[in-house]
Amino acid sequence: PGLILTVVLVLYAVLVFGWWPADVYMAGISLVGWLMFIGLFFWFLLAIVYVVWIEKVEEEQQN
Amino acid sequence: MQVTESIIMFIYLIVMTIFGIYFYRRARRSESDYFTAGKSINTFIGAFAIFAAVASSSSLLGAVGSGVALGVPYFFTYAFGVIAIMPFAMFLISGQIRRSGVKTVPEFFKQRFGSSVQIVAAVIVCVGMTFYMVPQLTASGIIGSYVLGLNYTTAVIVLGLGFTLYAALGGMWAITYTDLIQGMIMIVGIVILALVILMDHSGFSALISDALSTDPAFGDITQPWMSYFGLFIAFLWFGIISPSVVMRNFASKSAKIARRTAMWACLIYLTLFVSGFVVTSAGASLGIVDTLDNTDMIFVSVIEHYLPAILGGIMLAGLLAAIMSSADAMLLAISAAIAHDIYKGHINKQASERFVTGLGLVVMIAASIVGILIAIDPPGLIAIMVGWVGGFLLSAFGFPLVLGIWWKRANTQGALVGMVSGAITFVILISSGALPTNAEPIIAAPVSLVLMIIVSLMTTPPPKEKQELVDYYHTHLEDSN
Repeated sequence: PGLILTVVLVLYAVLVFGWWPADVYMAGISLVGWLMFIGLFFWFLLAIVYVVWIEKVEEEQQN
Repeated sequence: MQVTESIIMFIYLIVMTIFGIYFYRRARRSESDYFTAGKSINTFIGAFAIFAAVASSSSLLGAVGSGVALGVPYFFTYAFGVIAIMPFAMFLISGQIRRSGVKTVPEFFKQRFGSSVQIVAAVIVCVGMTFYMVPQLTASGIIGSYVLGLNYTTAVIVLGLGFTLYAALGGMWAITYTDLIQGMIMIVGIVILALVILMDHSGFSALISDALSTDPAFGDITQPWMSYFGLFIAFLWFGIISPSVVMRNFASKSAKIARRTAMWACLIYLTLFVSGFVVTSAGASLGIVDTLDNTDMIFVSVIEHYLPAILGGIMLAGLLAAIMSSADAMLLAISAAIAHDIYKGHINKQASERFVTGLGLVVMIAASIVGILIAIDPPGLIAIMVGWVGGFLLSAFGFPLVLGIWWKRANTQGALVGMVSGAITFVILISSGALPTNAEPIIAAPVSLVLMIIVSLMTTPPPKEKQELVDYYHTHLEDSN
């Protein structure tokens, strides 16, 4: 799943840097900052998905 | 000189040195012990060790300082790139490169592409890691001179030799276990600091309001788009292109452990940066950024303002831990490149393991002295220097390493051209000053990628056994290397 999840990671980065809503503010901070803050948790979620997914693949292969 | 903080930092240095002495015999048993801790590190210890290796002065001093000076979105860009290091490296190389069974990054290039690529890679490792030590030593000089009352040069020398001693004596064994302690000091320290700040400001919303009322531009995008994007790209790739971090995969018990280690390190880093957001906001609320000679000192000012002396001493030891735990890994990467890859790989293939580990020890001390001499008169701010090295290594190593793992058709000629063209393009761009800060790899890395693909396709395919290596890296059966 490494390549698939790399594409997902890149797509989120493209959303942030492609959209780049620098002039939209929430609680006094640019929306760009908040999108990145949400991204921090998304990266950890992707890491969990990868570990669970690849260990399932390994288990299938060893059986 | 601040007595309480100095005593805590002194005790901390003594404890780290004891680790080096304790692991000396075990590290000298074999090259595998000295450079990869016998490939026996488990998930818990490995997660803190890889976190501590990545989390340097840049993650704490640099990120908070630039977040206060340039607006909190700049801090978020740091965090966005740095936390992505772990999953990005995990998806593309962690398990695969652990399965290759090598001890160093240049040795992987030898296994996949041959000796010529190994030598070029070893030279790039030595140059990149030596220059990456400089901002770490600079930061240790800033903190040491501030807390211990020494002048900057003396602080750089004392603290530089401090981490060199335990790293050279105990190799990867000492580095891993000191990193475990240092990672814990770092994370506990910054979480306590964040909680104290939140209590002082009566909650998160009030803290943000205080920061914005002191500095109305705190939430703004203040730099060109390319500066943010370049910073993100340079950090994103760091777990793939920095030998000091990649070597942690070699120390894991297995490919499975290497992946789990990266996942938990990601969570530890997430905790660090969420706490760092609070520290950055507190730094902005103090309104002192214009009164400081060096914005990297904002973090220290926050510690002083909010924490009593004993807690402040622990947090300052945490800052020192961030610096030393990254610099020791860089020393090990240089040591392995010269002693294992160049000396044993090409000069004396019959060298005994004990001689190679002894040479590794001497190389570490020599590399540390070179780094200290450069750091005495550093060429720039911490964050800028880290950006230079990250950009250089990404431009040279990024695509040759990833394509070596994922693309059977990648061959020796392609890897050589990709490595050299990326490095040269980066140096030309940074010398010309044509691009905004940190934006050089946006051009140099794609040059490396395109030329590596074109040259590989235009020349003879690699031999069958080299192509089969790519399949082997991706078989999901537990390795015994």
